[in-house]
Amino acid sequence: MTERAHTAVTRRRFLKTGALAAVAVPLVGRASRADAATKVLDFSTGADVAKAEAEGEVVYYGHDSEPGIAVLLDAFKKDFPKIKTSYVRLQTGALYAKVTAERSAGRFGVDVLQLSDISPAIDFQKKGGWEQYQSPEYAAYKPEYLSTPAGYFGVPGVGFAGIAYNRTKLKPEQAPKTWKDINNPAYRDGVSVKLATSGMQHSQWYILRKMYGNDFWQEFAKQRPKGFDARAQLFDRLAKGDDRMCALAEYAGYTLYQEKGAEIDFVAPPEGMPAIAIYIGVVNKAPHPEAAKLFVDWALSKRGQAIYQNQKILLYGSVRNDAGPMPTGKRLADFKLLFPTDWNDYVASHPLFVKEWNSIMGL
Amino acid sequence: MSPTPSEGIARARSWWPGPRLVSVLVGGGAAILVLYPIAYLIQASLSVGDPQARPPEAYGFDNFTGLGRYAHILGNTLQVAAVATVLAVVVGFVMGWILSRTNVPGRAALEQLMAMPYYVTPLMGALAWAIIASPGSGFVNQLWRGMGGEGHVIDINTSWGIAWVMALFEGSVAFVMIGAVMKSMDPSMEEASQVLGAGRTRTMLRITLPLVLPGVLGAAVYVFAEMLGSFSAALVLGLPARFYVVTTAMYQMVSQYPPRFPTAAAMGVSLFAVMFGMVWIYRRIISAGTYVTITGKAFRPRVMDVGSLRWPFLAICLAYLTVAVILPVLTIVYASFQHLTAASPGLRNLTLANYATALSLDAVRSALWNSLLLGLATASIGVLLIGFLSWLIYRSRLPGAGVIEYLLMFPQAVPRLVFAFGMMWAWLVFPLPIYGTLWLLLIAYVTVFLPLGLRTISGVILQIDRALEESAQMCGATWGYRLRTVTMPLLKPGLVAAWLLLFIASVRELGASILLMGPKSKVITPAIVESWFSTSTELAAAMALLQTLAVAVALVIMFAVARRAVQGGGE
Repeated sequence: MTERAHTAVTRRRFLKTGALAAVAVPLVGRASRADAATKVLDFSTGADVAKAEAEGEVVYYGHDSEPGIAVLLDAFKKDFPKIKTSYVRLQTGALYAKVTAERSAGRFGVDVLQLSDISPAIDFQKKGGWEQYQSPEYAAYKPEYLSTPAGYFGVPGVGFAGIAYNRTKLKPEQAPKTWKDINNPAYRDGVSVKLATSGMQHSQWYILRKMYGNDFWQEFAKQRPKGFDARAQLFDRLAKGDDRMCALAEYAGYTLYQEKGAEIDFVAPPEGMPAIAIYIGVVNKAPHPEAAKLFVDWALSKRGQAIYQNQKILLYGSVRNDAGPMPTGKRLADFKLLFPTDWNDYVASHPLFVKEWNSIMGL
Repeated sequence: MSPTPSEGIARARSWWPGPRLVSVLVGGGAAILVLYPIAYLIQASLSVGDPQARPPEAYGFDNFTGLGRYAHILGNTLQVAAVATVLAVVVGFVMGWILSRTNVPGRAALEQLMAMPYYVTPLMGALAWAIIASPGSGFVNQLWRGMGGEGHVIDINTSWGIAWVMALFEGSVAFVMIGAVMKSMDPSMEEASQVLGAGRTRTMLRITLPLVLPGVLGAAVYVFAEMLGSFSAALVLGLPARFYVVTTAMYQMVSQYPPRFPTAAAMGVSLFAVMFGMVWIYRRIISAGTYVTITGKAFRPRVMDVGSLRWPFLAICLAYLTVAVILPVLTIVYASFQHLTAASPGLRNLTLANYATALSLDAVRSALWNSLLLGLATASIGVLLIGFLSWLIYRSRLPGAGVIEYLLMFPQAVPRLVFAFGMMWAWLVFPLPIYGTLWLLLIAYVTVFLPLGLRTISGVILQIDRALEESAQMCGATWGYRLRTVTMPLLKPGLVAAWLLLFIASVRELGASILLMGPKSKVITPAIVESWFSTSTELAAAMALLQTLAVAVALVIMFAVARRAVQGGGE
């Protein structure tokens, strides 16, 4: 059976729906409060900076690459040299499993948590894992970019994906133009995507399935696509000509490999590009609570966003109201981004996605 | 003045506790070390409620009954493991025989070089072989097409390719295990065979092979289990061909949200059956014959003069070292100096940026030191513990000693990535603050490498005639004194081999470290894999080379210090 095609799946509409869906999450933890903001460097913080420096450390758990996290933490350390940083890096699924296992055993070692998937972020909120903290920097974000109720987590960036191809393997006239083109039999055995571990892949599967119906991905399975864990692997193979086309080409990965001199081109399909947000917040019972607040404020500030958005190893589009252009000169608003329209439906679709995608990947 | 033997014995008697008490304590302690996390794994495998709930919400066998749909993955795993084991054991045996029993030129140097593939690590080997022999961008295939050929002549992204890479790098483990046994063998038996008219090949097959059978079987059991749990080569080379083995499938299960621990744990627990079968076969074979080659009769290890065959044997050794070490290392060096690896890079593509990035990472700066420290501690503690456990299992006649062997082999049966979840759950609730510290990694490494040490040392211990210890006992030596003055010195080759293997295995450990390292207890190998995932092959290559270099330097320093200590002691 084919589902009806959705129209006008915009970022604004999606995030509004998402925010409404998140209202269903029960209030856990202490009540929201407005923390007294102070100015430090060029941003506002509700943290007591002296206390944060006395704590002397912030422990960050994140999903980005080692060099990506290093860039982020080094920038913070440069601004606050009295606060040491340490981190744990795992893919979101394993990272969240580690955090929840630690907390269930009564061990509270993490101050700041960043996740690349909405499902664990909401689950963590339900479990009372986030500290409710009203960052003064939230004022620079639209409500749809904050948790509901506000104060549990914010969105330090957005990633999105189009299509990319190798210029030495495909001429421009042979290159895909729209999402439907990824099912062109001419690309068979030369197509790469991500595995079911990827939040971005789930998002693409969900959105294109809504757009083109259930059969779309069954048709795609005939391409015998190759699945990988991370964008670096996808672009590495594409750049070297092992694959002709990448059907989930993250813009951040494209710019990084383009800079390396890879002969690849990026296609932004006219239907729009699937996107996902990342989520950051202070963890409840953090061992260094003031340093944690300071870090989150810094990350969401214009100062921190410059790192998230401008460092090519990260390259997350900033959703701050006053965000500048990305290093490529483009602003997030220049892209037509597609988000799922119904968070609950999106989260509920995950088991089906995993089953179908594993089957497509030959797993 | 040195004490006389009788004084030494008397002193030994005064401080060694009863053998049974020590045996029970050490054997029991080791068993608890293994069983404690396994209990959590079994609990997880029976969880049928929310896969993330700890403790489980409901229990059942659904995770086991549902494993049928992964039969093709199990088939892939067994196929790769079997092929790779045969290749690795053949490599280990042939190289062990050539370097231990023949007068091949440059024997001592070659013997040292034979450990190199183990330093190189399967991850680095897989990355290198992907660059060399991928059907599309592989250098060999590019060369082929450049010469006018079509398609590709070699494809490393196949089950055979994965087995090839695994065998190249586990072949050196088999070599160390089998070589240690061969070195401890009295050559008079081979000489007698030749005196009676048998040729070299017949002597090797009819005399040498049966006598080193425990070592060969031990190596085969160990290598097979290692192949079952092998991750890096299958990940790097299997994914491009949509070819999954148990470990890569499990990795997907536990990496996605929500992580499917119960299914992964059930898959891991099911592998216990395979491992039990292997240990059972091993014990059946060694109990059916005697493999004693070290007796009270003095012998001096001698090598056979193989005449002009020395040169083909040398060529075999060099060929192995070329495909297992020289080619992969050169390829990785070549890749590490490029932005984007190409067979013939332009000047603009050459860079030092990968090394600059690698050295700027905390994962390299502090994690490399942590890895070396852990390697040293794991190898030293592990050798003492496992040496004692080997004696306990094969010599003590302690009731239940055989059961301990089965228990100690458990960690080998489960891929470390899954075993690590058991350890994480177990040590999180343990009422000592070791979670997130290097101590936890040390416990984890000692636990997961028990099978490696046991297989290396047991092959040698089975060769030692029990009569030697019994003679000492007749002379009045206590149990502890016998162990220290008779058994341990005879075990020295096995102990040295085990120390080396444990050190390197610890430094390159991946599966357990990923989950157990904390923000202040990082180690290097997970960071290399993550770099390959999330940054580039070239950065991963630079990091892997830095790791290999650090290990090599550490080993050179340690051997120099040890040699000086031995010489100093002798003066």
